[in-house]
Amino acid sequence: MNVRKIVRVMVAVSLIWGALTTGALAAEPIKMGAILPLADSTGKDGSRSMELAVKQINEKGGLLGRQVKLIMMDDEMKGDKAAAALDKLVTVDNVDIIVGGVGSGATMGAIPGMKKYGKVVVWIGGASGKIEEAMAGQDWFFHLHAWDYQQGALWETGYLEMEQKYGIKRKKTFMAYEEGAFGSGSFKAGKPIYEAAGNELQGEAFKSAALGGGDYRSVLRHAKEFGAESFIWTGYDKDALPIMEQAKEIGFAPGLFVGSPPGWPVDFKNTPLNQAVMFYSYWSEAQGVKNKNSKMYSDAFRKEFKDDPVTYFGPLAYTNIMIVAEAIKRAGTLDNAALIKALEATSYASPMGDTFVFKKSKIIDHQAFASPKIMQWQNGKAQVVWPWEVATAKLIYPFPAWDKRDKAAVPAKKAKGEKK
Amino acid sequence: MKYSKYLAVLVLFIVAAALPNYLGLYQLQIMNFVFVYIAFALSWDMLLRSGQLSFGIAGFAGIGGYTSVLCGYNFALSPILCILIGSAVAGIVALFVGSQVLKLRGLYFSIVTLAIGEIFRVIVRNLEVTGAAEGILLPNAIFMGNATKTYWLMFAIATFTIIISILFQKTRIYYALTSISNDEIVAASSGVNIFKYLVIIFVVTSAIQGMAGAAYWQIYASVTPEGAFNLGFALLPITMALFGGVGTTWGPVIGSAILSVTAEYLKLQFPHGHLLVYGFIMVAAILWFPSGIMGVFKQFTAKFNT
Amino acid sequence: MINSIVNQFKQRNFLFGFILILAAIILIGIYKPAVLVEGLQRSALYALIALPMALLLGIVDIINLAHGEFMMVGAYFAYFMSAQFGMDPIVSVLPALLIFFIFGLIVYYLTFKHIIGKPPLNQLLLGFGISLILSEGMTAIATNAPRKLSLDYVSSSASIGGVTFGTFEFVYVAGALIVLLGMQLLLKKTATGQAAVAVGQNPRGARVVGINVNNIYLLIFCVSIALISAIGPLFMTRYTLFPQMGSSFTLKSFSLVAVGGMGSITGVVYAALILGMGETLVLSSLKYGKWAEIIYFALIIGVIMYRSHQRQVK
Repeated sequence: MNVRKIVRVMVAVSLIWGALTTGALAAEPIKMGAILPLADSTGKDGSRSMELAVKQINEKGGLLGRQVKLIMMDDEMKGDKAAAALDKLVTVDNVDIIVGGVGSGATMGAIPGMKKYGKVVVWIGGASGKIEEAMAGQDWFFHLHAWDYQQGALWETGYLEMEQKYGIKRKKTFMAYEEGAFGSGSFKAGKPIYEAAGNELQGEAFKSAALGGGDYRSVLRHAKEFGAESFIWTGYDKDALPIMEQAKEIGFAPGLFVGSPPGWPVDFKNTPLNQAVMFYSYWSEAQGVKNKNSKMYSDAFRKEFKDDPVTYFGPLAYTNIMIVAEAIKRAGTLDNAALIKALEATSYASPMGDTFVFKKSKIIDHQAFASPKIMQWQNGKAQVVWPWEVATAKLIYPFPAWDKRDKAAVPAKKAKGEKK
Repeated sequence: MKYSKYLAVLVLFIVAAALPNYLGLYQLQIMNFVFVYIAFALSWDMLLRSGQLSFGIAGFAGIGGYTSVLCGYNFALSPILCILIGSAVAGIVALFVGSQVLKLRGLYFSIVTLAIGEIFRVIVRNLEVTGAAEGILLPNAIFMGNATKTYWLMFAIATFTIIISILFQKTRIYYALTSISNDEIVAASSGVNIFKYLVIIFVVTSAIQGMAGAAYWQIYASVTPEGAFNLGFALLPITMALFGGVGTTWGPVIGSAILSVTAEYLKLQFPHGHLLVYGFIMVAAILWFPSGIMGVFKQFTAKFNT
Repeated sequence: MINSIVNQFKQRNFLFGFILILAAIILIGIYKPAVLVEGLQRSALYALIALPMALLLGIVDIINLAHGEFMMVGAYFAYFMSAQFGMDPIVSVLPALLIFFIFGLIVYYLTFKHIIGKPPLNQLLLGFGISLILSEGMTAIATNAPRKLSLDYVSSSASIGGVTFGTFEFVYVAGALIVLLGMQLLLKKTATGQAAVAVGQNPRGARVVGINVNNIYLLIFCVSIALISAIGPLFMTRYTLFPQMGSSFTLKSFSLVAVGGMGSITGVVYAALILGMGETLVLSSLKYGKWAEIIYFALIIGVIMYRSHQRQVK
């Protein structure tokens, strides 16, 4: 009995090693290695969109006469796991190119490996300026996201333009940010920009529900006592609805109510509390009205998964694969130097509504990103209100007071029925 | 019989020494996980043998990791020196903390060690010198990312822990401490200075955890509060030690090796549900082998001998 | 001051403690009235979540590391009852009690039953495994997407003397009181409860005097699981639901049980009051709010250390 147990354990162990050591078989298809946080909504949208892109490419005959194979690894949002994922993709799967990326923390852990291998990396995540510094002079690194200081500056431009057009007031701005790298990084990057514009900025950290928090009342009270004309919170999708509920509870309704989670929870579109809530993003499904690439992407995604992407990492990941595919086509080879040259010549009309062309950023050589957009929830739909070229709706201003809201105007119940 | 044991150990070390020649970079990376968990699980087990259940691994690993990366970042010291400093600082913190909290017993001690780690996490997150919430990035990884050298470093730390554990079981301290975990009052009345021994062992194990954490984050050339003080570092090593069998040197070693490799393997097989399978493995293991793999092994050898 | 409050309660010197607490309440009430209300609500939620663990861990010495995950499963139950049948989450507390009592029964027979009497550490590993199964199993069923019902009544509020505060969270205060009283009655007034206390203190002795030890473990386990799972629906009215939300509350409950003192049900409530009030008070300061967590953990360490010191002096 016990002998059998031990044998069983040993067999299991040797099987596991066997599976780990035998990785790559005959390298027929072109292999792209993707690193994403698969358990997160960003990673879920990203991985599905990458699969969609690869499927479309293969249906059209693949690249250079070969099929494309996408190998996905989970970084679990941790630096050490991202590094292991990178090693596996490069040394076991022998992938030809690295794509993906969401969190800055995970990206930071993978940087030593990326430098060691020197493979072409086309990366869609990691907005921290610290990553830009670390990537100085690395010609194989292509970044498809705005750095934190860039997005702050661009959104500021948006506000200035909205001040002129709609007369919004934001002399007193209160910024609530989740205490982790995402929130406090955004605050740090945004602070000098806000203050340079002559605004009075007050900031405070809160514990996100994602990390066991969820009571925002003290922060909201401080914003109310401060007399904030504009309130901006930076946190996660888990914080979205409770913040609105608790703001209503203490009667806090500033003229501008802004949130910036990477994605909104599925139920947010059904709540009457969402009306006129603004947010930052890079993409909204509503752009499909104006942009045919955007519509094509949304339709294809819905057809494939019977679901909608909830974060901009969906179209961004799709863009990620498509830019790589076009570069491989142009290069005609998978050779690193040729691929870098071909990537530099990228001009891709993305479903995000922008054409991606690589430029130098402050430090690194290759960066291209979708323009940051200011959006607003209007009658249960996310509409783009700025920049004007891609705007799909006019701004509702000011944010209506809690007791002066027309509940009937919000299709909350209908949306609930739809879900079934 | 006695020599066969040493032979087995010798073979094990030869195999470990030969591995870098046969493994790819990814497998070497997994070996880093194995070695760091061996150091965590075994040092935790050494403290457990004296009757103290610590939840503080994450805290001391984080202190070591932060100290070493900070040394490298601010003073550009050699990484090895940084690791030693990280280990020393973890040990010093353990000395101060231990002299206060080691009088506590049972769950009280566990919760306090957990809380201390959390306090350090909040401190590094709120201070600018520690890079605040974003953490710190080093310009270069240790050994410029050379995987073989990294393997040897982690191998050395794991081996060091194993040797300490074996030596520890032969010292007076061990007998004193087992007598504590058996019956504290008897131990105290027979003139054993329980407290002094407890502090010594707490400092040693914490320094090991600090060293392992320091080396680990030198490999990834970065530290973040959530990464370095990750509570997974508190719970997973405990799980591994229990899986292998507590109270022995080889139990935690075997448990760490099997579970770290299994975790990665499951991740490849079930990208979306690997933790679910991992959970089932844990539950099955504890129900069928309640004293761990070493327990099964002992039963087996006992039967074999009769 | 806080340490002495605990100490006074420990010695059952209720009057002195009562006066101290009253003084603290009045002071906070004058300084920041909202802190009083919100601190009370937060403390009540902490107590509510920690009480079932106090019963299981404090009374019969079973460590359930999947505590928070059971709450998560209960919360999902209420979410789907609401989405499918339009049942109000507060109403679904009642079916949750029954269903999760049975669920606890199954979990007990499949797992915990087999490790009672084995080294207590094994419970840790078992609980960790179960917590992974529950949270990852829920991910497989319901995906990782965060969910939150949009309930109008959760943001109801009242104003007294110019201070606007939320009223819905008094549900947690009521819930904590009901659970506290229920547990006190169970442990003090019923034969089963007293048997449970006896089993916790000395399982072998309890068996000798004819108590069916296994049944006691089973009952207390199922009651604890039923309670924590039925708190899930109350919790999810205000908080966003996602499969990994449980673990932080397991750790929180552990700390509260340790601060309150193993074996003491009322101790947990005092611990929740101290920690919840302390945390809310620090958070209410704009400048020092970011150190609230340190205060929280320092209080945990301080109270535990102080009490251990007191014991040694005695």
